[in-house]
Order: sequence, then structure tokens, then C-alpha cells
Amino acid sequence: MTPNRDFYTGLVATAFFALVLFVLIPVYVRVPSFIPGFAPPPDMWPRVIGWVGLVMGVMALVLAVPKMRRQSGKKVLSVGAYLRANRVFIYRFIWMGLGFAIFVYLMPKIGFLTATMALLAFLFIMTGDFSKRAWMIGLTLLFPIFLYVIFTEITHTPFPHGKWFSLARLLHLI
Amino acid sequence: MWNELLGAFFAVATLPNFVAMAAGIWGGVIIGAIPGMTGTMAVTLALPFTFYLPPVTSLLLLVALYKGSTYGGSISAILIKTPGTASAACTVLDGYPLARAGKGGKALNMALVSSCIGDFISNISLIFLAAPLAMFALRVGPPEYFMLMAFSLTIVASISGRSLLLGIISACLGLLLATVGEDMYGSFRFAVTEDMKSGLGVVPVLIGLFALPEMIKLAVFRPEEDTQAMKLGDNRLSFKEFQGSIKSIIRGSFIGVILGAIPGIGPSTAAFFSYSEARRTSKNGDRFGEGELEGIAASESANNGCCGATMIPLLALGVPGDVITGVMLGAFMIHGLTPGPMLFQNNIGEVYSLFIGMLFSSAFLFVAGTLTAFGFAKISRIPQQLLLPCIVILCVFGIYSVASSPFDVAVLLVMGIVGFVMMVLNIPAAPFLIAFILGPMFEDNMRRSLAISRGDIGVFFQSWISWGFFALTILFVALTIRREWQKWRSTSRATN
Repeated sequence: MTPNRDFYTGLVATAFFALVLFVLIPVYVRVPSFIPGFAPPPDMWPRVIGWVGLVMGVMALVLAVPKMRRQSGKKVLSVGAYLRANRVFIYRFIWMGLGFAIFVYLMPKIGFLTATMALLAFLFIMTGDFSKRAWMIGLTLLFPIFLYVIFTEITHTPFPHGKWFSLARLLHLI
Repeated sequence: MWNELLGAFFAVATLPNFVAMAAGIWGGVIIGAIPGMTGTMAVTLALPFTFYLPPVTSLLLLVALYKGSTYGGSISAILIKTPGTASAACTVLDGYPLARAGKGGKALNMALVSSCIGDFISNISLIFLAAPLAMFALRVGPPEYFMLMAFSLTIVASISGRSLLLGIISACLGLLLATVGEDMYGSFRFAVTEDMKSGLGVVPVLIGLFALPEMIKLAVFRPEEDTQAMKLGDNRLSFKEFQGSIKSIIRGSFIGVILGAIPGIGPSTAAFFSYSEARRTSKNGDRFGEGELEGIAASESANNGCCGATMIPLLALGVPGDVITGVMLGAFMIHGLTPGPMLFQNNIGEVYSLFIGMLFSSAFLFVAGTLTAFGFAKISRIPQQLLLPCIVILCVFGIYSVASSPFDVAVLLVMGIVGFVMMVLNIPAAPFLIAFILGPMFEDNMRRSLAISRGDIGVFFQSWISWGFFALTILFVALTIRREWQKWRSTSRATN
């Protein structure tokens, strides 16, 4: 990884806690107009945490600069250069996020069982190593069915069947 | 007392009771070892089956499930870096590095031995110290809880790894995430969607943070080297290694007993507290987090040390110490037993049978742990590109089955991404986790105390228990500042 990592950690932490303090708390923490007796308002604790986090983020940022300069031969990589240098990793990371989001979206549409099969296939593909192709195909088809049977029979979990189509119902019929 | 205990011994030593205990321990170990499946789930699932069993047999089955699942959490924590239960989160810190170094068997053995000793001490404590500890627990109100939580949060300093600053940032993230949902006065915080109004569950956050980042790391970086180094390797735990950890085991067991006896604290806090203490006092403290057997000993002895102790307030006062004993309270009621002081007068035979049965179950835990753990060790021989995707799917099924909530699955996956980003940025996950678990208790007790005292902070210093925890907090903060100062000075000297 890059020697600039500590700097970016501080940058991300500072940006995140600033966002929490100045945007998220005012918008998403409602303070009631009347609080019975003496009780600290609901935004007190998140604000305390936000300020501590912000101060720590700034400190991490400031302390990282001299170290980063030492390690990178007096040169500091810009954010753009950092992103370009790691773009393959960033694309793969975005793919993972998209995969998870699509899984959550499709779960009620195609059913839990089909969605988990699709997710497992996607994860196998994302590993980039297909030396155990037969195992991957077998597990994609059978492992979710095995878990589905275990959880429905033992814990009686009502997994969603899916609005578009349901593999689980098909299996029940078989 | 001794006559009653002897009578209880013969009452318990029957085949149905032994079968119930063995089944409970075995089932608990297996369920605890599966990520997403919790001890609470195991006990709840078994509850309907106990309708058909005698009271003592039913209770022994449930207690055995509780103990088995608490230990079982350590198996997946050590072998696949996924704590099966929240209380095993600390075991990951040293267990997984040991497994990667080919010493998974040694780590499992240490976890088992520590768990059994912690469990045994907890049972003995339950028998002999139930009344005095219950009296102590009765005197702990919101201000004392607040001080205890403040003290517990100081362990962030000792689990932060290479940077205290990043550890505090991680703890702030955990504390902030714990505020999502409805607060104690009915105000909603960060409830962006309807599902978020009830807050984020500990289990999806925990599993997401520990189990999923490994899969995302594999997918993003695709390491070419063989990361499958988790062979059991050197399995034997030498007497010298055991002797080196005995202090931490005994101390962890008693931490488990004391914190377990206080309702609402539970094994997770006990494990982190014990781990932190072991790290502070051990001569190998610097190696904690890199594969130190003593770390596993401290964590596992404390979480199993809670098992018997959580029964103390339940039996003596009728107050469940945690969620599992809450379920057990229902089991007592189903069988016509009402926990509380009257239980010791009206059903003394059942109480002593339960005590003796719990001692037997410690022995069953050792046997079942030995056999089951090494069966699970086969997981370590499966290639990462097959194992990690299957773990994600197992977690998805496990999380969905807890509350049948697609939102929990979404939380799991989002936390996986958050955990990966933290891993890339070198932010340690352990402080996040401890802050997430302790945060709500810390805030609730602070706000409740201030509401009771009408804003007077003097409420936090009205009892010797509060003063004791306050003094310990100040002491450890001062020691941490001193340690960080020394570290900074030595680094500055080295670079100049």
C-alpha cells in the first residue's frame, strides 16, 4: 500500500465526522421542543462523539504529514494520483458494493434462495481464481439449498419466496 | 447444604440428564461455532422441546446449550476469523493470527481449557457466593453503571493496536453507530429509513465487521500467495504454556464471575475487560493481538466465567442477567418454578440439582469441545476462494434467520464494506466493536443518572463503587498517556 495511508485515514475521518456534526445531526437528530424534567437532549451524545472524532481526525491528519514526507521522499501523492494508481482495486471494490446492493434489491423479487445462489456465484467470480471450477458450480447450486433446508426445517425461518418467481416453491413441488 | 448437594448429585446422575447435558453442550458448541447463530437462538429454539421433559432435565439442557454456544463462538473466531458469538470477538485478536501461523490446534486447546476452567470456577462461585454477589449487584444503580462503562471504555486504549489515535477514531465510529434508532426518551436519531428506527442489531454489525472484510479483501486484492495457512499444526498445549497463562485464566474467570453477576453486563464486556487486564499485566503484553495464547486464555475464561454467574441474579433475585437467562426465566416459569428468594425455600432440591448439573456440564464441555473443535478444524483445509464466499452465504442465512429481516442482511453487507474500508485505512475494528456494544449502556446510564439527579453530576460520586471505578478509570487513562508519551519520545529519538 501507499505510505500516504495515514494521511488519507485522517482525511476520511475528518470529513466523515464533519459531515456528522454539520449535516447529519442537524437533519436526522430531532430535538423535541419539550423535554420532561432534566434530561440531556438526544443530540448531546452524538455531538460529543462527533467533536471527539473530528479532533482525532484532524490530529491524525496533522501527525501524518511529516511521516508521509519522510516515507515518500519529500513527495506527497495527490488524491487523484492515489486513485489512479489503485484504480483496478477501486473498480473491484465498486463491483463488490454493486453486487451486494443488487442482492438486497433482488432478494424480495426473485426469492431468498435464488438470490443467495446468484450472490454465491458472483462472489466466486470475484475471487478471480477458477482453478476449482467444478467445486464452485456445485457449491453455487447445492450449498444455498442445503442451508435453506436446514434453516426452514430446524428454525422454521420464513425466507421470502420472491414476487417474480420462486425456486423454493419449485423445490417444494418437486 | 452438603446433604442437599449429595442428594442432588444422585438425583442428577441419571441417563436422561446426562443425555440432555451432552446434547445441549454438543448442540451449543456447533451452533455457537456457526457465524450468525447465537446462544440465545440455541436456547430459544430448544425451549419448545423442554415442555416434554422434567424441570431439572429441561434446565440442564438449556444451561448446557448456553455454555456450549459460549465456547463454540471461539472455534470460528480462531479458525475463520469470525466470532460465532459476540463474546468471542476478543478471541479473534489472537486466535486467528495463531491459526494463520499453523498453531490453530494450540489456540483451540487453550480456548477449551480456559473455557472449562472459567466455567468450573463460575459454577463453584454460583454455589457458594450467590447471596453476597447478588447483594452487591443490588447496590449497582445507573451512576455506578455509568462509571463501570466509562472504565470499560478505557480498554479501547489497549486494543487499538499500533495507533491510539486510530483506536479512538474507531471507537467514535462505534459509539456513533450505536446511537442509531430510538433513544431512551423516544427521540429518533439518524433514522434515515423506517427500519433504522429500531436501531442496528449487534449480531449483523458484529458479523459484518469481522466476517465479510476478508471476502472483500480477497475479491479486491486477489492475493497470489496462498493465504490458507490456518492448519492446526502443533496441536499440543504444553504444561509450560498453560502455566504461563494460568494467572490470566484465574483472573479472567473471576472477572467473568463478578461482571456476569451484574445484570446487563454479560460475557462480551467480561471478555474485553479480562483481555485488557491480561494485556496490561502480562510480560508478553506487546505480543497481544499478534497471536498470544494468553490473550485467548483471558478472553475465553472470562466469557465462560459469566455462564454460571449470570444465573446468580436470576436464581437469587429473579432478575435475568442477560438475554439468555431471560429466556431461561421463561423456562423456569413453564415448569412452575419462580426464580427469586422463595425458590431457595420452596424448590431447594431443584436448585441444588441445577448446581450439580452445571458442574457435570463443565466436564461435558471439555469432552464435547475436544471432539467438535477438531472436526471444525477441517474448515481450515478448504481453499480460501471456496471457503470465504460460502462463509458470506452462511452469514446471510444466519442473519436473516435471527429476525427474518432483509434490513439486517443489508446491515450485514454494509458493515462488511465499512469493515473493509477500515481495514484498508488501518483503523482497528476491535475498538469499534467494544464501543458499539458498550455505547448504549454508557449513554443510557449517564442520561438516566442526570435525569434522576436533575442535572447534578455529583450523582456519579455518591457511592464507594462509583469512586472505585472512577479511580480505576483515571489511573488507566494516566497510564495510557504515559505509555503513549514514552512511545512517541522513543520514535522521535530513533528518527533524529
